[in-house]
Amino acid sequence: MGSSAKKKREKKADFQKPKLKVGKARPKNTNATDTSFSSKSIILKQQNLSESGRDSSALFNHNLSLLSSKNDTQRRDALQYLTTVCAATTKSDLPQPASAIVAKAQSLILDGSNGVRSQVLKLFKALPTNDFGPLDQLVIYVRAGMTHLSSDIRLSALDVLDWLLVSKGTAVMATPGGWVKMLRTFQNLLSWQSQNGKVASAQGGSWTATKTGSGNLGSSKLLVHQITTLSTFLTVGLTLPAADPHAAAKRASMCFPLYQMHAHMLPSRSNAFGYLNLFGAVRDQESEGYDDADERIAVFNELGLLDAFRSGAKEAKQEAGEVGRAASNLEKALKLADVG
Amino acid sequence: MKRKLGALEKVDADLPNLQHKIRADPPSYHDDFLNQYSQYSSLHELFLQSPTTTDDTGIVRLRDLIDFVSHVADCYPALTARFATDLIHLLQVHHATLDTELRDKIVGSLVLLRKKELIDSNVLLQTLWPLLISTPSKSLRALLFQKIVSDLRSSNSKTTNHKLNRSIQTTCYNLIASDPTSAKGLWAVKLTRELWKRQVWTDSKAVSIMEAAALGQDAKVVSGGVRFFLGGDQEREEAADDDSDEDEGVDMSRLRHQAGINKKTAKRDKDLKAAAAKVKRKEKKKNAPHPLNFSALHLLHDPQGFAEKLYQQHLQSAQPKARLNLEQKLLVLNLVSRLVGLHKLTLIPLYSYFLKFLTPRQPSVTSFLAALAQATHTLVPPDVLEPLVQKIANEFVSEAAAAEVASAGLSGIREVCVRQPLAMNETLLQDLVQYRKSKDKGVQMAARGLLSLYRDVGAEMLRKRDRGREAALKLRNRGSKDGGLDASRRFGHVEDGGIEGLDLLEKWKEEQGLDIDALDEEAEARGWENWDAESDDSDSSGGWINVESDGEDIDISDSDEEMAKAAGKLGEAPANVKATEAEKENLDTNGHATPSADRNTASLEPEAAVRREEQRISKLATTRILTPADLAKLQELRQNAAISAALPSAKRRKLQAAAQLAAQARHADDAVTASDIAGLAALSHKATKAEKVAMAKGHRPDGDETDKNDHRSTTARRKEKKASEGKSTTNKEKARKKNFMMTLGKAKRKGKRSLVEHRAILKAHVDRSRKGGRRGNK
Repeated sequence: MGSSAKKKREKKADFQKPKLKVGKARPKNTNATDTSFSSKSIILKQQNLSESGRDSSALFNHNLSLLSSKNDTQRRDALQYLTTVCAATTKSDLPQPASAIVAKAQSLILDGSNGVRSQVLKLFKALPTNDFGPLDQLVIYVRAGMTHLSSDIRLSALDVLDWLLVSKGTAVMATPGGWVKMLRTFQNLLSWQSQNGKVASAQGGSWTATKTGSGNLGSSKLLVHQITTLSTFLTVGLTLPAADPHAAAKRASMCFPLYQMHAHMLPSRSNAFGYLNLFGAVRDQESEGYDDADERIAVFNELGLLDAFRSGAKEAKQEAGEVGRAASNLEKALKLADVG
Repeated sequence: MKRKLGALEKVDADLPNLQHKIRADPPSYHDDFLNQYSQYSSLHELFLQSPTTTDDTGIVRLRDLIDFVSHVADCYPALTARFATDLIHLLQVHHATLDTELRDKIVGSLVLLRKKELIDSNVLLQTLWPLLISTPSKSLRALLFQKIVSDLRSSNSKTTNHKLNRSIQTTCYNLIASDPTSAKGLWAVKLTRELWKRQVWTDSKAVSIMEAAALGQDAKVVSGGVRFFLGGDQEREEAADDDSDEDEGVDMSRLRHQAGINKKTAKRDKDLKAAAAKVKRKEKKKNAPHPLNFSALHLLHDPQGFAEKLYQQHLQSAQPKARLNLEQKLLVLNLVSRLVGLHKLTLIPLYSYFLKFLTPRQPSVTSFLAALAQATHTLVPPDVLEPLVQKIANEFVSEAAAAEVASAGLSGIREVCVRQPLAMNETLLQDLVQYRKSKDKGVQMAARGLLSLYRDVGAEMLRKRDRGREAALKLRNRGSKDGGLDASRRFGHVEDGGIEGLDLLEKWKEEQGLDIDALDEEAEARGWENWDAESDDSDSSGGWINVESDGEDIDISDSDEEMAKAAGKLGEAPANVKATEAEKENLDTNGHATPSADRNTASLEPEAAVRREEQRISKLATTRILTPADLAKLQELRQNAAISAALPSAKRRKLQAAAQLAAQARHADDAVTASDIAGLAALSHKATKAEKVAMAKGHRPDGDETDKNDHRSTTARRKEKKASEGKSTTNKEKARKKNFMMTLGKAKRKGKRSLVEHRAILKAHVDRSRKGGRRGNK
């Protein structure tokens, strides 16, 4: 109960309209805080503003380092850039040796993104084939890709293997584990276990499990690809090099006063004494490298792979269409081993 | 078609899904597993070629594959035979450079393989243990330690795995013993302490590891080992208590009630059964006998040698191999003195070591005083202790010293003298006792403590007016008897033990009219026969035939009898004593009956009676073998005595005796702490009003909160306790609390009952009480 005049005045003041001047905003307080932020982070549109100033080799190295980027479009773009550069320049002009590029790019065979994987293959094709360096790791990556859970990765790994066989077939065979382990991988993929194997006997022997393990439910595309690649692989591995009877004489005549010069020269391949395995772990029969086609044939027969593949091929041949055709190719390749 | 394929593929590219399918049906997914395993081996090979590269960009990483393979390895043991060794090799060689996630995954996978029993504990521990010691990574060490402890616990959970324990203990021991200067031994100390706490290792081998650690040359290892001996057992007990306390358990009756109300499903039924089983298991565990664990100090192989080495290595030498700071030195000193006190060891140089530390300016001098008291026992020569006591008195106890200092000094002297009363000389004692007239409360109490101690153990050293009545009478009595020094005042004197309640048995036999000396053979034979018969009964089911020569007694008792008789014939002294004793006993009862009897003789009498009693007891226990019948009677008499002792008049006396006994027991086995010495100093400090208020509110000065002071009556507190336990009140209570208005009707009706009605009610009441309540007391 405001009884005094002062209180009455105060009460009245609450209901009085303030007189405002039109056309002039109230000036802001001096200590007002600006709260009109809407973003918590600062976004840079370009990471490097001096794009034009870089020389090509720096750009190349930058793109090479981008291969391990987290973003898959960035990886693909970097690969594209590298491919165009490699295709455009000759071998001597590349800022990095081909082996370094391969070492960086080979892990992308197992990449999750389709575009990246196809681009890797393109890059490999664009690179000069004669200074790839040792193929050990590349072959292991391919093997890992062939047994990958995702069938897309399997397919692209097979593509890479196809290219490898065409371009550097003998070098692949010579890598440690490049022959037997690869064959074992194919055997697992196609589930062509040898008849006297433990697995077959465990399952009862007479009938085999369904072959859907490889994940090719709808189409036989993967299976066909696998069989085709296998036949190429076997053809490359089992073919004896065409012996030229006059080669030795020719070479001798070329550098007449010197005798057996090639044996005394510096080796022309990298890691020439790799087969001695001086520094690596002890290898068993599977991870051994087989330089010679004769050795390869011997091992192939010794491990009973021939029988397994033959029976597998026979079984696959009974399927109609592409699978059958691929299998008959395979049988042809297998005949090479029979000779030895 | 294509969309559908994509979806299926997505499902297939899922390792956990494949894992699940493999677990359900291993033979069908053999090929899939083979593919994944070969991929694992490819990646593994790649990794071995360049261990520092990471495979983070790929969609399937090496650690996923390792995880996958280790989860299903038990389905294909032949294929994965090399898997464990691969992992072990990977971890051993590359643990420093491995990606942390991969590294932790490998450790976890190895433990998983151990759980699936693809590798045994020994292999696992021999892999993890060297890593624990060598790795620079803190997080890996924590992980490894946890895994090692949990594996040791689980492999010891059902039965003690002696073989494994022995091998790990040997490893621990070797770690410390092979290089005493390195700090790596700390891990052995940590592991042993943890397993000791969890009662996995309770044997002397674990103690010997700690012994080696305490004698090490690294300060941390030494203090770890010493701390174990000082606190390991306490920690173990606390952990055991915590275990029994934790999870109060399910309320079975509540669950049953809920099950009655809720919808009945198979799952709920199963849950209820599981809960019941759990409760039963816990009950069983609670009723299981307490595991008999010896404390670490008692499991030491050679306490004397250990204490000597500890002292020489860490305390005595001027250039110790392990540089210990004061705190660590105090720990070692504490352990040495504890060992000396507990095992009554002789370590003479230790006492002179104390001499230089006993000044009020020495940091944590109360701990030194406590250690000194701890190291004192009855077999320490008094002339070694005397200078120490003298020094404490000179340094600490003077009018000029602060009250806290003086009280600490007096308490220290008292604690020493409790254990070895001979350490005090007469003049010093008389001087120190004067301080009970001090104005300061703390000093006063400390001096009084010393006084009361010497009234007990050496009253003749006190001045006549300080002795007090009881002690003076005791002294006079003794003086008249044998005129010499009290037996306990002789160095090296040991009190002889007795059998509790033996005097009762003797008295009973006397009452029965059986003469102890000439107990007839027949009665004794009866005692044994009874026992034989009992054992026969229990054995009869087994079909054993008791082969016994008829009527002949056991030889030992016979010869004993003869010996007793011979003793009786030889000296008539015992008989004489008996006769006088009977007279005196009469006197005694007279004394009680007539309070006007001579004060001196009355108070003298009990003393003499006690002495005679002692003689008699020793006689009974040493001259006869107690038959089982005797033992049964003894037990019965003991119980009776306990019941009569529970009567209020006897209670106070008993309490006093118990307190005395407890004090004695404490001195024998417990540690003396600095707070025991400095405790009385708190009395010197006068509390301010604020402190008093805080105290009343339940805030203790040492920081921990207690219950608020509760001023309610006992009944109210009890009632609250009952209510909190969910228990009901009594019928009486309910009747008292009943709403008055509700009682009115019955009260009105009650006055108007007819006689017939009243009779029926009374009859029903009688019937009910006969039946035992409304529901019947079945």
